[in-house]
Amino acid sequence: MRSLVPILIAALIYACLTLVVSNSYYQLMLTLVLVWASFGLAWNIQSGYTGLVSFGHAAFFGLGAYTTALGQIYFDLTPWLLIPIAAVIGGVSGLLIGFPTFRLRGHYFALAMLAYPLAMLYVFEWLGFQELTLPIKRDAPLAYMQFSDPRLYTLVALAMLLAIVLITRAVERSRFGMALLAIKQNEAAAEAAGIDALAWKLRSIVLSGAIAGAVGAFYAVVLLVVTPPSVFGMLVSAQALTVAMFGGVGTVWGPLIGAVILIPVGEILNAELGARIPGIQGVIYGLAIIVVILVAPEGVFWTLRDRLRRGARTAAAMTPELSAPAAPLAPADTRPAGQPRKPPSGEILLSVKGLSKSFGGLKAVQDVSFDVHRGMILGIIGPNGAGKTTLFNLLNGFLPPSSGEVVFDGRNMVGCRPHVLCKAGVGRTFQIMRPFPRMSVRDNVRVGAYVQAANEQEAHHLAADAVNRVGLSPVADKMAAELTTKELRLMEIARALAGKPRLLLLDETLAGLGHGEADEVTAIVQRLARDGMTVAIIEHTMQSMVRLVDRFLVLDHGAVLADGEPEQVTRDPRVIEAYLGKKWVAHAQA
Amino acid sequence: MTDHTPLALTRRTMLAATALSLAAPRAFAQAAADVRIGLIVPLSGLYARPGAVMRMGAEMGVDHINSAGGVKALGGAKLKLVVIDCGDTTEKAKNAAQRMVAQETDLVAASGAYLSSFTLAVTEVTERAQLPVLTLSYSDLITDRGFKYVFQTSATAGSQARQALPLLMKLAETASGKRPKTVAIIGDNTASSVASVKPMREGLLKELGLELVMDETFTPPLSDATPLVQKVRASRPDMLFFLPTVISDGKLILEKMNEFGLGQGRIPTISFGIAIAEPDILQTISPDLLQGVITCVGSWATKGHEDLVKELKTRFNEPWMTQNAISTYGDMWLIKEALEKAGKADKLAVAEALRTMDGGPSKYYPGGILKFDEKGRRVDAEMTVVQWQKGIPVTVFPQKLAVAEPFWPKR
Repeated sequence: MRSLVPILIAALIYACLTLVVSNSYYQLMLTLVLVWASFGLAWNIQSGYTGLVSFGHAAFFGLGAYTTALGQIYFDLTPWLLIPIAAVIGGVSGLLIGFPTFRLRGHYFALAMLAYPLAMLYVFEWLGFQELTLPIKRDAPLAYMQFSDPRLYTLVALAMLLAIVLITRAVERSRFGMALLAIKQNEAAAEAAGIDALAWKLRSIVLSGAIAGAVGAFYAVVLLVVTPPSVFGMLVSAQALTVAMFGGVGTVWGPLIGAVILIPVGEILNAELGARIPGIQGVIYGLAIIVVILVAPEGVFWTLRDRLRRGARTAAAMTPELSAPAAPLAPADTRPAGQPRKPPSGEILLSVKGLSKSFGGLKAVQDVSFDVHRGMILGIIGPNGAGKTTLFNLLNGFLPPSSGEVVFDGRNMVGCRPHVLCKAGVGRTFQIMRPFPRMSVRDNVRVGAYVQAANEQEAHHLAADAVNRVGLSPVADKMAAELTTKELRLMEIARALAGKPRLLLLDETLAGLGHGEADEVTAIVQRLARDGMTVAIIEHTMQSMVRLVDRFLVLDHGAVLADGEPEQVTRDPRVIEAYLGKKWVAHAQA
Repeated sequence: MTDHTPLALTRRTMLAATALSLAAPRAFAQAAADVRIGLIVPLSGLYARPGAVMRMGAEMGVDHINSAGGVKALGGAKLKLVVIDCGDTTEKAKNAAQRMVAQETDLVAASGAYLSSFTLAVTEVTERAQLPVLTLSYSDLITDRGFKYVFQTSATAGSQARQALPLLMKLAETASGKRPKTVAIIGDNTASSVASVKPMREGLLKELGLELVMDETFTPPLSDATPLVQKVRASRPDMLFFLPTVISDGKLILEKMNEFGLGQGRIPTISFGIAIAEPDILQTISPDLLQGVITCVGSWATKGHEDLVKELKTRFNEPWMTQNAISTYGDMWLIKEALEKAGKADKLAVAEALRTMDGGPSKYYPGGILKFDEKGRRVDAEMTVVQWQKGIPVTVFPQKLAVAEPFWPKR
């Protein structure tokens, strides 16, 4: 709640300013700043947090505006009622638009979104709604939101914006926001961490569409005239993007900063230069945006924050974070180091039978079968391109196998989506690390905890525990962007651990680590196994693995080359040949 | 000045003194303070060009009024134009209007805002600020909202739709001595073209005894106009309604018609609106191709405006005078008349003067009189028919306003 204070203070200052300003033109600007800030926030909830940029939020905005106009013209309803109705319409259209469009990613998503408002623009023109005006209500102005005192518009807009800010913050701080951020940084990693990406994305576009619809409905009340280009036009969608990107994407402050700066600047330029050198205002406005984006590519908010943080890093390190968990922070390792590992218990946790995967003519994985016993460490090795990562992707559901079975804990999991497998107890890390750089270590790990946690508190608790188990507690409050490679590797393991997996798939966890670092990580993996975790680890260097694993599975050209004890496998001539070439076979045997 | 009688002088002085003491106390010391008039038009963005032309008309109007002695009822007070850019979106237009009424509080009237969506947005603001606005925009909605401070000088879109066809029939009869019997339509599928054609298809043609012999709708951009023009040649209509939105489509069709020997007015080719008669079109289509093309517009430079056209050409290098220039020029005179009638530089009084005015035949708007009905529409407003003749679109109908004879094939 402490962090709400700045926002409430800002709102209070704005309200005071509103009451003081008597010039109706300045008052209109005060209203429009809030309208565009709200619209920017609506866009931000979907595009800012998921990273799927929408060029088409005018679709929701326009539907909202037309809801007000048509509702008042044809049904004589008041905007007080029509604004909530517009929110419902916006939400429903969000669902209808999101469902097919989320099949697309990146630029394709952005372009597809662009099409919706453009199509709607023509539909509304075709329906004969080229120009609508909200009928003037001379006898009951208040009931129809037609205030003679323009300050009331600003106050209504302020209340609306405040509500949207609170919604955004609630989203940002909950598993909803965490899920969206995780999807933004890496949808695959998010799925692997147990997040049902499609469901969360749909929730975000429904919420975003609902807010945009309400804002559009209010905009119609302010503007009083609704035309398809003025509410469905490219410029409307662009306005949301501009204020959010200028101010900072993915934060509640971004669109607020963007709107507070850009709307008045644009209008002042229009007012001062429009009649003198017509058109120059657009040039200056455009140049100003270009300069700011060049100087602050992630938006004003993030650039300023980074600068402030850099200045006060040491001070910040001293201050305890608000999110500090109640869980006790145990020392990194209390267990005796030399304890012998217990042998595999014999019970089979994962059984792979005849697994194959082809990409066209390429057989990436051919007829692979093996068992993983509870508590053991399985090393999957093989030269580059042997099909190791493809095998992992088959195991955790990123790819459907062409044939074969993956039986996890007695259930055939073929065809399950990654987040389902994650919930069932299969956790994984990635060869290419996917940290969420702007989140703290603890929050990075927390993303992985939601798959098992029933509530925020439990998620915090699970995350703290996982951080502790990999020995990252001392750096738990650092931003992920500040970590070393080793710490990032450990953080990825912690993120997988937070979801309480029973089988941990580690993809080249030792890659890029120095000798000493690799040993540290190895020790941690060993300790996990000792505590009962079952681990399958991919590596292409054999050395570091020999001491770590209980059993080796060697792949070459997608097929199993050897399967057995480390000692035995490293002496296998076929393995040596696959790794080093024929002439080394004799050499090694000598 | 010298030919005024002493009586008129006294009355004028007295009125001016009253007006000044009532309306402009701070200007007491001056003999006659400037009377400020707003011109809120698009000067930037997509519609900057028509906005600029409106400004030319307004500046000429103000200069002529001032050099003719200003507003006599206000002691020869001069008019002063306050130009405000209303941009290229409805929101910018609304903002500009709000700025106008908040910042320029001494305006007595305004003219604007070209596009009817802009005019709608602007007048939502001016209505609440009780500032009278004259507009050349067509939309019926502008004066259908029960507003008291907006005055439409052109015939509304609805009225134009009713007027245009009978007007063209009359033109054809006068020019060729025969009543057209068959028509063809070539239009694209954009909203405005579809809207213009719809009433014709739905009974208007039948009412006038016209047979629709060919009706083609295409999607812009057109890659080849041959099939369309071939159909025109085959059906040989007495009139062709020609409604392209994209200039390149218009060019393709006109080129093809010339190639087939149907151009140059051999088949009377009729468009609607101002776009086909704007000077800009000559950058894309050569005047030879346009020869004979007819369009119906709300207003145009007509008989009696020759000096204005000449002045516009020398002063602003505009080749001819479109509705935007002549209508806005007329607006300045109309505001001046209202000021004379009101006797004071006060927006409420000017609005009341406009409402009650009965200024006789209109000099700068086609047809009708200088009087507004209870909605704010100019009584009996008519429209003009303009034809491209030797590289210039000239008014050819109604006859009393025509500056040239229309040519229409006599066969």
